Amino acid sequence: MMISTPENQIADPSPEEDVVLSVEGVSKKFCRSLKRSLFYGVQDIASELLGLRQQNNTLRTREFWALKDVSLKLRRGEALGLVGANGSGKTTLLRIISGLIRPDTGSVRIRGRVAPLIALGAGFNPILTGRENIFANMSILGLSTKEIKARFDSVVEFAEIGDAIDSPVHSYSSGMAARLGFACAIHTNPEILLIDEVLAVGDIQFLAKCHRRLHELREQGIAFVLVSHNPQAILSMCQQSLYLQKGNVVAYSDTETIMNQYEEDLFLGAAQKVSGLLRMPDKPASESLGLDITSLCFKDTNNQILEELISGETVQLCIGFTSHKLLDDVNVRISIIKEGQTVLYFGGSNDKLTFYIPPGHHEVKVLLPNFGLSPGVYIMRVDIRNSALFILDIVEAFRFVVRTNGRMSKCLFCQPRSWELATYGKTAKEDVNASP
Amino acid sequence: MQKPRQPLHEVIYTPESYLRHPIRLFKEMGRDLLAARELAWRLLVRDISAQYRQSFLGFFWAFVPPIVTALGLTLANNAKILNIGETDLPYPAYVMFSMALWQTFAEAVSGQIQAVSLAKPMMVRINFPREAIILSQLGQVFFNFAIKLILIVSLFLWFKMPIAWTVILAPVALIHLVMLGTCIGLFLAPIAALYEDISKGLTLGLGFWLFLTPVIYPVPQEGAFATLVRLNPVTPLLVAVRDLATMGHLSDPKGFWWMSAIAMLGLLVGWLFYRIAMPFVVERVSA
Repeated sequence: MMISTPENQIADPSPEEDVVLSVEGVSKKFCRSLKRSLFYGVQDIASELLGLRQQNNTLRTREFWALKDVSLKLRRGEALGLVGANGSGKTTLLRIISGLIRPDTGSVRIRGRVAPLIALGAGFNPILTGRENIFANMSILGLSTKEIKARFDSVVEFAEIGDAIDSPVHSYSSGMAARLGFACAIHTNPEILLIDEVLAVGDIQFLAKCHRRLHELREQGIAFVLVSHNPQAILSMCQQSLYLQKGNVVAYSDTETIMNQYEEDLFLGAAQKVSGLLRMPDKPASESLGLDITSLCFKDTNNQILEELISGETVQLCIGFTSHKLLDDVNVRISIIKEGQTVLYFGGSNDKLTFYIPPGHHEVKVLLPNFGLSPGVYIMRVDIRNSALFILDIVEAFRFVVRTNGRMSKCLFCQPRSWELATYGKTAKEDVNASP
Repeated sequence: MQKPRQPLHEVIYTPESYLRHPIRLFKEMGRDLLAARELAWRLLVRDISAQYRQSFLGFFWAFVPPIVTALGLTLANNAKILNIGETDLPYPAYVMFSMALWQTFAEAVSGQIQAVSLAKPMMVRINFPREAIILSQLGQVFFNFAIKLILIVSLFLWFKMPIAWTVILAPVALIHLVMLGTCIGLFLAPIAALYEDISKGLTLGLGFWLFLTPVIYPVPQEGAFATLVRLNPVTPLLVAVRDLATMGHLSDPKGFWWMSAIAMLGLLVGWLFYRIAMPFVVERVSA
């Protein structure tokens, strides 16, 4: 529906014409029973045909709100993160924004082309060659033949598929097909880009390239809506985030605040992180797999809990857990992630180290001399397994900050070091020990 | 570097029924139809090349069904198992020609339904003009007819059949026939995407419908069956194509013009229905 631009947004910090996407009070209902859902579909079509359909706030039998009263605004060059557990309505919101399904209440106003990075390679026919599929796929995404021809070379170059462009797509590896799909989608020159969990395709190099490309697009003034389960992807790209829970907006504010809230809720809302110490609530027996992590923190060499780490200092990572039965092949794995990439990983599998754990409360301490990570915000994931595959318990995201005391700068890694000046002739020795 | 600002196309989605603003709706329909042309062409090229690339016999499959049907029926007719009256054309030619026309109509109906069901995964993910699916399917129908035309032309040569000058008007009647088929297809396609029953019933329905259409027999002149055949909406259009190609005049001009008008109007209404129904279908099949 076209409505003339409302002129009542005086309080906005930037001019109204910069708003490329505005969602106002949008709700959407879904039905859990397929049979009923199909019937309601027919009912909706009928009422639409009779011109009766309008704002509808009542739920029919077995319906629920997949989205309830969501409002947001996106300006040129802005990026918005959507966070929430599975089934919280993130994808539904993206689908309403892309015009695939219509809202049951409220309105969505869009200015410019919307490109969904949701369905990579939609319309790819496996029998046809990559070349033919680029043409088909990009015209589905709304480009004219002339526009496709103009972009063709850069798509092929970006996808890095080289000579395979004239082979049928079913001979491609899944990574190649995904790269081709991503390359097509990203070359459509949209005003708004909707990204739903797609940055999980391809190898690390291609991923980095995608991130660079998205960054370029941001600089060109393209607005993003990003859905990701990876908190770092959102933290690094979006200033603003919207937190959805069962279709309701829990919070809409700056990403830092939202991510903190989301991470807290990830631990069922009961885990408490106070000055560097994360305490997990007791698990009910039905959820426990025999061993539960109870606490997580970094301590210094005097066993004092650290709120922040300093590059180069020696720290201990302390993982407290309770085991309810005897486990004889327990190993711990730790990944430390920054901006979506694992920067540090160590575990029992590398160190050929397993524990024999009788029932009771235990604490594993990992001594990390000269902790070498550069200053920044990190997310740590800790899991405890019995043998290689059976995961007993996981802490998905322990967030911590590393600072520097000046002994490292302009680099990614704090190298422990000691200096020596050897002067021949006289006996003189100076020792600058970098580590305490 | 900011992108140069151009006037941006603005779209607003609300729950309000589109039919409350018919002028805007018709404008949007026209705009989308224009926007769908290139995409429809791409889809057509994609589908046809994929279809023939994975087939050894290729075009062969377009001629075979009418030939096989005609062969069987001619044998049955010659053996007096079937009691079919005199046809204006030699019987094998009559059956093959009529069968090709009927198949074109049947493809127009079922093609839209198949196209929508094949495009479902694409439609639930990307918002492209839905008209492209219709257009590309129409393209396929005409493409397949063009292949059948080779068969028809060779029939005319083989049986040394007379050709009336009105043959140049035959495509008009053929287009009306395809319009009627497409109209029915457009009404059924959204519902068929929701309920499997439609596709199942359609195979049955088209099979039965064939026997009510003068395809394997000439137009009956009297009796209850004759009335039934005359009331069949396909009859006047299909007969008109045959008449124009061979006889040089329409045997039932009134029926033809009435049916043509209904087909044209029906196509517009079918398109409107399809357009309005599709978002609801997308919502239900992917939820």
